[in-house]
Amino acid sequence: MSAVATTPAQDHAPYSRRQALTLAVGQVAAGALIAGLVELALFYSGNDDPPAWPAVLYVAGAWIYVAAGTVAWLRRPGSRIGLLMTIGGFAWLGAGLINTSVPALVAAGSIVQTVPIAILVHLLLAFPSGRLRGTAERVTVAGIYGVSLVLQAPRYLLAPGPLQIDEDPQLLDVAAWTQRGVATAFVLVACALLLRRLRDAPPAQRRVLGPLSLYGAVAALAMPLGAGIVDLLDGRGAILLSCVQMGLTAGVTVFFAIAVSRGGFARTGQIEELGARLGGEEGRREGLAEVLGETLGDSSLELLFRVPGEQSWVNGAGVATVPPAASTRRGVAKVQLGDETIGAIVYDATLLTRSDEVREAAQIVALALDRERLTVELRASRARLVEAGDEERRRIARDLHDGLQSRLVLLAVQAGVAPGTSSELREGIEVAIDELRALVHGVMPAELTERGLPAAVNELADRMPIDVVLEVAGFERRPSPAVESTAFFVTAEAMVNAVKHARADELTVTLAHGERALRIEVRDDGTGGAGARSGNGIRSIADRVEALGGRLRIDSATGAGTRVMVELPCAS
Amino acid sequence: MRVVIGEDQALMRAGLALVLEQAGFEIVAVAGDAEDLVRKTAAHRPDLLVADIRMPPTHTDDGLRAALELRRRLPGLPVLVLSQYLQRDYAVELLESGEEGVGYLLKQRIADVERFVADLHRIVAGGSVLDREVVAAMVGRYRRGDPIGRLTDRQRAVLEQMAEGRSNAAIAEQLGVSEKAVVRHTSNIYDELGIDRTPEDHRRVLAVVRYLSL
Repeated sequence: MSAVATTPAQDHAPYSRRQALTLAVGQVAAGALIAGLVELALFYSGNDDPPAWPAVLYVAGAWIYVAAGTVAWLRRPGSRIGLLMTIGGFAWLGAGLINTSVPALVAAGSIVQTVPIAILVHLLLAFPSGRLRGTAERVTVAGIYGVSLVLQAPRYLLAPGPLQIDEDPQLLDVAAWTQRGVATAFVLVACALLLRRLRDAPPAQRRVLGPLSLYGAVAALAMPLGAGIVDLLDGRGAILLSCVQMGLTAGVTVFFAIAVSRGGFARTGQIEELGARLGGEEGRREGLAEVLGETLGDSSLELLFRVPGEQSWVNGAGVATVPPAASTRRGVAKVQLGDETIGAIVYDATLLTRSDEVREAAQIVALALDRERLTVELRASRARLVEAGDEERRRIARDLHDGLQSRLVLLAVQAGVAPGTSSELREGIEVAIDELRALVHGVMPAELTERGLPAAVNELADRMPIDVVLEVAGFERRPSPAVESTAFFVTAEAMVNAVKHARADELTVTLAHGERALRIEVRDDGTGGAGARSGNGIRSIADRVEALGGRLRIDSATGAGTRVMVELPCAS
Repeated sequence: MRVVIGEDQALMRAGLALVLEQAGFEIVAVAGDAEDLVRKTAAHRPDLLVADIRMPPTHTDDGLRAALELRRRLPGLPVLVLSQYLQRDYAVELLESGEEGVGYLLKQRIADVERFVADLHRIVAGGSVLDREVVAAMVGRYRRGDPIGRLTDRQRAVLEQMAEGRSNAAIAEQLGVSEKAVVRHTSNIYDELGIDRTPEDHRRVLAVVRYLSL
């Protein structure tokens, strides 16, 4: 069995999640393709009164929607715009059913006949993240759905068809124009909201958002108005207008999909997704710096946190640091919450040339950053506890050395030189001194304090009854005392466990001190299965490691030896 | 014999003084920190220096540093360093400063006065004395591919005794074999460790250093 002890272990869930998404979206797209083919077949086979060829446009439009939706969905899984487009595609298929000869399908088609308009408006207002931002937007979208579903009712109840309950052409006419009028009004409100948004958008966004919104608005208006005009025209004119109308609407999704997937809006959309991702549940929330780095496209991005109530700063590991000065290579964006500066984003300025975008992201993540800052502060205070504990251990070791041990040595000397004293007394005191020495070593080994980690571990290896191979790199400078002592205790615990429990014959200990982290690996050739019996020792060590923002992992399959891996972040 | 003591703890100083005076040593100076130790030893040129490894100013290995510096400045100065715990690195550094007249013992060893005084005389006479625990730790650390690992048990036992600074006669007595057998063992050990023919004392210490630094 394999055991993973504590701390954020890396798994590969994002990959499998990604594959599952691709599969699901693929199935939806395939479903739309097949449904479209079936619908086409229903139009022309076994239909005594086949529709005019523009009916094909329903299916074509649906396919374009679904195709664009699939692309947007896969490119931006966090955005709902792709999902919305795909739903739009199915709405088009549904609306197209009116052209079949099966009464139940015709009924369904007539009920959802105008839903595509509502979805188009929804798309326009929800671009680019797929989420509606304000109350006005939500009300407008709800209204247009209401218009397309409720005001549609008279049109299938009064017109010839499977759902007809009464025949009243005049009333039907009034109902149709009422619906078009109200729908047009809602579309106009939506246009006004788009204009307002355009006005408030940063100039850079406006360049892309402007034409897109304008085009979308025209397409949306063309639907209710165009339908009215089609009703007034006959023959070729109507067909031509239908084609233009369908081309316009289908075009919206294509342009939106492109804009969401690439170009400037990809980022804006992602920043909005960011808000949604960071709002996730506690346990499932991703690291803020990683999410932000991924969103903005800079893996070197770093978050710094200002310690509450102080002028000092810490990094994600809780290590005190100083924000770098902004330069042409490293950019720094302060994060404000209210009037208070709570953190800073340090990014690669050659990669992210648009500081306004980083600032925008900074404001979106302010609340999340504040929450994270408290976590970091907590971690820092735990690290301080570890440091204080170690300082206490060093003091106790020193006091025992200088006080009790010296006194015992003097006693032993006096016993040794005093005439008429038996040698047992002296030997007894010497045993006490040996025990005290072992005790002091357990509290805080002097060689660790004086000579550092490699010397202390080497010394430990000397005491091991088995073959120990020690590999050491990067200790030209010493890690901080807290990291050093934690590294020592975890190494010692792992080595002792290998001998005591795993019945190992050989141990390999690797200590690698890098720029940002100290990595330790203790590998043995013993019986493995450490997960089942890992006791208090390794657990308390794991707590220490975690308090310093590190990771501890134990691989211990039964019969395959044990590998203890520890990574402790260091201030660079 | 004249001796300088480097020790910052009053209790230990008292204990050392007690033992040394009883053994007939004359304490010509006592130093409480490393700098003071270097100055006083250089001025007095004693027959023996006894120094605590951990001393002011840094309370780490200042006493050892001072002793090593003094051995460079006063070649052949017999030095015994004392410590409350043992570290192999210290033993190796000390032996590398010169093969003769060095000792490294746990502080508590001074209580076994008879043995301690014998060790002092051996150091003054140019021998090397290592604490039995340092030696035991070295023996305990067995590594594959080590020349030390190729030694037979008997050879390892002899080398261990050599590392403690014992003469062939003493080793023979300790192991209950003839002195001739010990000589045969030592010569085999030199061969096994690849130590070339040099004067006997050098070879002994070289073997010990090799033994300790492997």
